[in-house]
Amino acid sequence: MSSSTFPKPPEGLCSRSSRRDVLRAAAHGFGGIALEAMLAKGAFAERTNPLAAKPQHFPGKAKNVIFLFMVGAPGQMDTFDPKPMLAKYEGQKLPESFGKITSQFTDGSTPILASPFTFKQYGQSGAWVSDLFPNLKDCVDDICFVRNFYTESVVHAPAMYQVHTGRILMGYPSMGSWVTYGLGSTSDNLPAYVVMPQPEGTPEGGTPCWGSAFLPAVYQGTLLRPGPTPILHLKAPAGTTPERQKATLDLLQKMNDLDTAPGDSEMAARIASYELAFKMQSHAPEAVDLTKETEATKKLYGLDRKETSEFGTRCLLARRMVERGVRFVQIYSGGGPVSVQWDAHKDLVPNHRKMAGMTDQPIAALLKDLKSRGLLDDTLVIWGSEFGRLPMSQSGNGRDHNMHGFTMWFAGGGVKGGQTIGATDDFGLYCAGTKYHMRDFHATILHALGLDQHKLWYLHNGRHEKLTDFGGNVIKEVFG
Amino acid sequence: MRHSLLTLMVAVPALLAAAELPNWVQPREMDNVKARKNFWSFQPVRKPPVPAVESKWVRNPLDAFVLEKLREKKEEPRTELDRRALMRRAMLDITGLPPTPNQMREFLADKSPDAYEKLVDRLMAGTAYGERWGQRWLDVVRYADTNGYELDAERTHAWRYRDYVIRSFNSNKRFDQFLKEQIAGDELWPADSDALVATGFHRTGPEHIVGGNQDLEMNRQEVLIEMNAGVGNVFLGLTVQCARCHNHKFDPFLQADYYRLAAIFAGTEGREVAIATPLEWASYSLERYEWEQKVKPILDAIKAIEKPYRAKLKAEKRAQLEPKFRDALAVPEAQRTPEQAELAKNAESQTGSTWDEVLAAIPAAELAVRKGWREKLHELELIEPEPPPHAYAAVNSGKPHATHILKVGDHKMKQGQVEPGVPLVLAIARGQQDLGDVTRGAQGRRTQLAEWLATPDHPLTARVFVNRMWQFRMGDGIVKTPNDFGALGERPTNPKLLDWMASEFVASGWDIKKLDRMILTSSTYRQSAVQRRRMDAEVVRDSILAVSGQLNAKMYGPPVKTPIEQEIYDIIFTEQEPDNLWPLPKDRREMYRRTVYVLNKRTVRLPMLANFDQPDTMSSCPQRPTSTHALQALTMMNSDFMAESARAFAARLGKKDPVGDAYSLALTREPRPEERKLAEEFFKKGGTVADFALALLNRNEFIYLP
Repeated sequence: MSSSTFPKPPEGLCSRSSRRDVLRAAAHGFGGIALEAMLAKGAFAERTNPLAAKPQHFPGKAKNVIFLFMVGAPGQMDTFDPKPMLAKYEGQKLPESFGKITSQFTDGSTPILASPFTFKQYGQSGAWVSDLFPNLKDCVDDICFVRNFYTESVVHAPAMYQVHTGRILMGYPSMGSWVTYGLGSTSDNLPAYVVMPQPEGTPEGGTPCWGSAFLPAVYQGTLLRPGPTPILHLKAPAGTTPERQKATLDLLQKMNDLDTAPGDSEMAARIASYELAFKMQSHAPEAVDLTKETEATKKLYGLDRKETSEFGTRCLLARRMVERGVRFVQIYSGGGPVSVQWDAHKDLVPNHRKMAGMTDQPIAALLKDLKSRGLLDDTLVIWGSEFGRLPMSQSGNGRDHNMHGFTMWFAGGGVKGGQTIGATDDFGLYCAGTKYHMRDFHATILHALGLDQHKLWYLHNGRHEKLTDFGGNVIKEVFG
Repeated sequence: MRHSLLTLMVAVPALLAAAELPNWVQPREMDNVKARKNFWSFQPVRKPPVPAVESKWVRNPLDAFVLEKLREKKEEPRTELDRRALMRRAMLDITGLPPTPNQMREFLADKSPDAYEKLVDRLMAGTAYGERWGQRWLDVVRYADTNGYELDAERTHAWRYRDYVIRSFNSNKRFDQFLKEQIAGDELWPADSDALVATGFHRTGPEHIVGGNQDLEMNRQEVLIEMNAGVGNVFLGLTVQCARCHNHKFDPFLQADYYRLAAIFAGTEGREVAIATPLEWASYSLERYEWEQKVKPILDAIKAIEKPYRAKLKAEKRAQLEPKFRDALAVPEAQRTPEQAELAKNAESQTGSTWDEVLAAIPAAELAVRKGWREKLHELELIEPEPPPHAYAAVNSGKPHATHILKVGDHKMKQGQVEPGVPLVLAIARGQQDLGDVTRGAQGRRTQLAEWLATPDHPLTARVFVNRMWQFRMGDGIVKTPNDFGALGERPTNPKLLDWMASEFVASGWDIKKLDRMILTSSTYRQSAVQRRRMDAEVVRDSILAVSGQLNAKMYGPPVKTPIEQEIYDIIFTEQEPDNLWPLPKDRREMYRRTVYVLNKRTVRLPMLANFDQPDTMSSCPQRPTSTHALQALTMMNSDFMAESARAFAARLGKKDPVGDAYSLALTREPRPEERKLAEEFFKKGGTVADFALALLNRNEFIYLP
């Protein structure tokens, strides 16, 4: 196998006689100094723990990513990209000069729909935010809005694959997989890459949105849930006490040690994987235990309100994850039934009010909380969706999908807040001037993390596959 | 430098003058292709003489080539595995299952010098041989039971291709026949339903099926991308897909080559072709009718419960309509202006309700009744009559589309038209004057492709497949990039061995079992491992089922669902009522079938398999990565499947010597004294037999091949 991040272990390292003793001690010790030694940085650590932290390609401020994904696509002209022209032309057809617009269900002939939401400018930067976000408006000076993204499909799943994996086709590794492949994780008792879907259901793109595709399975996103069993198979089956399980694991490791010849890094890795699993079992419940959080924090995230408590819990968990070294956190607002997605083909007002109502306070809380704890400098927060929505109506009071121009935003991790980059045309349909592809989106994220998009590759079926394929442009203004 | 200038000049025949070149190839491109036609894998296979190496180690010609190479490097073969370990490795490799104690005893009791060869023959004659080989082939062709993408619907009849593959390996079908059936079975043997099923090969990849406005041309191009990738990766071992947007960056493939290959499929379309007998049709119609009679009252009952609440919701929503929509609705349908008609249509859409709104409106008592009806409905759905047999086939539509080169692969940017053909460099390397042209007729394009691939002197077909065989049995191929025999791929580590195998394979009548047997009985295969191989994900599951006595060895048929965790159930995408997304089979024994028969759903990967690197089936997987990580350990220690298996395994063990029995069943050997001691200590501290069984199933010695 050939890849950009699997160095061969240095000659001699694996045949050192002391190594077996280290392993033996680790196998019997359950944590403690021996295991720490085994997981110490270096090539051997990488052989035994494929998720061991790896150096950046160049200094990048962001160490972790929290990707907030709005499933079904909010309308840019209803959130962060006001279009007064829509009110002026409300009910009329889009000028013919725009050409033929094909969306998923409509053909561009429906009348223009003004945004039913009110926009104002906020913060020092005077960023425009609609009244959907009464809390997030206070954070705009930490946010960089990019209004000129476009994508290649007008259908949810392919567009979701593009924003997550770079291609409209299924079968490519997700951004989080690439990032953990490139950087590993500084946490050795939690998964490197966690995913928190909407409890009501999965986004249309489904598991490939966090899959590792042809990258080894170790880089796949791991589902994380609030509650006593945050990770699949974390707990021993019913009836097995922790003591009993420890005894079983102890027996297993002693037997595995008998099977391990000196220098056999593969067997050593397997022994280590059980150690890591055991550490995860003891640490993960603590990592998702919110009882130690102060009332003020819980209130900040809206845990005391029915509307916000669910998404707020996930945002709070996201902070706790990055605090503990998890590299990549992906949170979905929306999934399952259409009534729990941003996909407002009709009833734009109740739909966006509901979805924004669930997420506005928690997202603002996340930004404020990260900032107050000094975590925002290290943590890149991304808000986005698979595409935007059309200026024209669907069903009279909704909007169809728009792949030609839409807004996403960045905060933290070296991003220069308080700015708005790019523009769409007067109607919010196409990008005006410069436009950014999903490749550019990904190139920018990798850049923030100190990863060179061209050096992060994996040879698959004869191609040096990369997240940005043949390369994207880093949106330099994002970093000021 | 691989070739001197002189050999290049001599080797390039004067094919065509620049003026005579077809429109799809520029003179400069032609020069470039000609200059690179001497690349090793484009050269004809020449059978090298078997090296005359003196050694008792050499059992067959393969060993002679291997030993010669070892001696060049001043190395010696590794020691031979002991008989027990060799037996275990052969079993796992050939059948994908560990040996039973009886099989091991029988083998060890056979003291004849060819006991191992007889074992290999026995195993190769068994049906598990095809299941194991079949799985490997399914990896390469990226087989799954569903379409992928958001709806990820099950392909009702696709499994017949999976069964066809298993049967083909078991019956030792000639490889050239196997190839031809898959590429052009419908054209070559129109009356043969097996050959029709085989063309499912062209449809194994993902397919995007979704509602709404369709870009038909884009959909068609996506289907063509999959067909091209299939032939390119699987049979040619070349990365032709890299030439979709531009001339290949590393190999002499033109963008035109890509579209000429795609033009071969320009008239091919996916179709479910009925292969049922009249009797099957008749009995299906009857069963279906009877079944629908049972379903209808249930659907009616559910509808009746929902009806008043749907109406109530509608009325409420109507009351809330903006005046312009309400007014439009008030106008009788026939009298509406076009604008009013549009507004009324919108009003209908705005006043519709989704299932979750309806359920939220129904009071608890009625909801409970409805739930009961839904459960009855789901029970009936489990016994829905199987539709009569169809082939999930690729056939000719009768009217091939014109094929254009697409600028950067974009279907909206058509460039010059091309006609069907095979890659230019391969045509030139073989001295073809026609530049690889294929018939332009509506019929026979794929036949010509198949015949071309299956010609005995094709430089790639046999090399690529024998390399897969070697890789399958040895862990690494002679070419370590089995899907890339191009410039960016690895060079063969032992080119003479590769070519000897390829030519011997063709000369034997493309006899898979013959060469496979030669590999499996070689001294090379019998060596101890440098890097032990881990069981494939499916072998892990199947072995655990076998050792715990739960395995149901029933072969073939529609894919079966096995229990999934709630967390996995929750990520099955649906916008509909999610109350019966994963119906388990009525007959519980079905859930213990071999993994090759377990439903392979593209967006719902079973954690146990995914964690052990089961391919994602989105692109051809020539060789699985082996990753080792904590989630594997969690699944192997804590999942319900493991708990159940450990209990079943423990129940098989005798009271007298459970430790001895467990070692015998799981590892087919006696426990060593220190292992007995470990077990005794474990039991003394209160460990249960089931926990001991669980530990043994987790053990490296169990999960890794000797």
